[in-house]
Amino acid sequence: MRKGLGRTLYHILLWFIAVIFFLPVLWIVLAAFKTKDQLLAVPTKWFFVPTLANFVDLFTRPNIVNYLVTSVVISVSAVAIAIVVSFLAAYCFSRYQPKGTNFLMFLLLSMRMVPAAATVIPVYLMYVAFGWKDTWGGMILFYAMFSIPFSVWILKGFVDGVSPRFDETGLVNGGSRLHVLFKVVLPQVKPGLVAAFIFNLVFVWNEFLFNFLIGGRRTTMVPVALSTWMYAQSGVDWTFVAALTTVFMIPPILVVFFFQKYLLTGMTFGTVRGEV
Amino acid sequence: MANLTGVQYVTRRPAWHTRLLRSVEESGLFSTALLVPVLIFFIVWNVIPLLWMLGLSFYNYSLITGNPEKYVAFGNYLDIYNNTNVWNALGRTFQWVFVTVAVETVLGILLGLLFWRSSDLPGRRFALTMIFTPMILAPASTGTYFRLIYEPTFGVINSILSILFGTRIDFLGDRAWAFGAVALVDIWMWTPFMLLITLAALGAVPKAELEAAEVDRLPWYKRFWYVILPYGKFILMLGILLRTIDSFKTMDLIYLMTKGGPGNTTETIAIALWRKAFEGFTMGWSSALAVILLLTAIAFTSIYLYILNLSKQGGK
Repeated sequence: MRKGLGRTLYHILLWFIAVIFFLPVLWIVLAAFKTKDQLLAVPTKWFFVPTLANFVDLFTRPNIVNYLVTSVVISVSAVAIAIVVSFLAAYCFSRYQPKGTNFLMFLLLSMRMVPAAATVIPVYLMYVAFGWKDTWGGMILFYAMFSIPFSVWILKGFVDGVSPRFDETGLVNGGSRLHVLFKVVLPQVKPGLVAAFIFNLVFVWNEFLFNFLIGGRRTTMVPVALSTWMYAQSGVDWTFVAALTTVFMIPPILVVFFFQKYLLTGMTFGTVRGEV
Repeated sequence: MANLTGVQYVTRRPAWHTRLLRSVEESGLFSTALLVPVLIFFIVWNVIPLLWMLGLSFYNYSLITGNPEKYVAFGNYLDIYNNTNVWNALGRTFQWVFVTVAVETVLGILLGLLFWRSSDLPGRRFALTMIFTPMILAPASTGTYFRLIYEPTFGVINSILSILFGTRIDFLGDRAWAFGAVALVDIWMWTPFMLLITLAALGAVPKAELEAAEVDRLPWYKRFWYVILPYGKFILMLGILLRTIDSFKTMDLIYLMTKGGPGNTTETIAIALWRKAFEGFTMGWSSALAVILLLTAIAFTSIYLYILNLSKQGGK
């Protein structure tokens, strides 16, 4: 590694890029600490005395804690179900290669490509007809379905990366298939599991459309709450939007901060062993 | 084999439940059982709604009029075929996908290369988290908030513009600017994803080959083309594929910022469909359009996978 001025300039450049990407986020966070007048001041106010009033207002709204809890429960359980289901399928696709494996993998991916507005019509009609609208199960299982294609794709890559000899060794030494599945293969695909988990978690956490249409009062998650609350008497209540966004983005940011290396390994789709 | 250690091995018949488990595991049943959950999900949440949608697309069914559905055979499809609005929206969608994915890919790869050798960057984890933040924000909130940022009187961008140039631009209300302004937000949100993909792809390049290139003093573009690309191609292509898919479906971001306007300069096909289905409540017609979109999506995915398989064979 070269040392000296060039290196320092390089580091400053990298930090500069990071700050550029973060600026709009910072602007939202700053807005959460402004009063309404400061936020809409016409020569934009660059310096101000921060206030916590917006957060007080946020947490005194009815049900806000409910919505946050609903968000956490629905997204975590949906993704957890999806990961288990996808791992089993990925193992089957990778080891047994049943007829139509490629076709099924392909169909799963194409389903993901259909615009949400297209899938939402039949799903909406189906949910109304079966009485699944605004039920926890209906919401969770729907999001699980949404997370499955991507998870199967990531996990199949990772299981492919684990040599079948591990399975054989496990079997010869008296382990059962299930033992091989969960005690031999599973630990080796951990980066893939974590990456699939994070990506889908972020997706479900932020999802708006389906929660709006097939959810209801009992299963409202934060993005839908945001859109229903944001109109005050005089147009959009910007400080409220900023405060809620700020609170809402903390969990995913923490996840990305602490599991960063898994994100990188996960995005190799199992083609690389070890650290990236 | 002679027992050298002198330990007595007792061969014990496994218990009945272990034997049962083994026999199940080794029969064809086990591999099918692994697939059952995924198939259930697939059938209940994809196949049934799809058949439903396919059926509906042959009917004239509206949620507002309350008239009983009427069988119109291919009427809806013909109507879509003759609808210039749909064709325009489709063209705009391809423009949208092309612009956003191309810029995100190029920018992402460049930034990825820049961040590649930065393991000694002070606070690298913080810096990367800051870069990745845009893609983990809810489009529902960024879409909403960017309306304020672009706002002509209160928005921060116009505040800076008016100081520097003395003009104010209504980015989201001006036909000339709206498409670019919305695309810029998408690029801001998703360039980090391509950066992440690039970092992962670079991790797939063996160190030895890079050192060899270093020793041979290959210029950077040759290094990229002959050393990095063959190994990283597969991951990069998969990243571009995922990005194309998501870009094709972008909906909440655009809808929250412009609702497809001004005029219909930002009306992609997803928005057009949404308007027809949930503002016009014409379920039959919308289902027909959804079927067409599904077929388009399948066609695209298969072309992509074909290319992807080529790059996998080339790279391995």
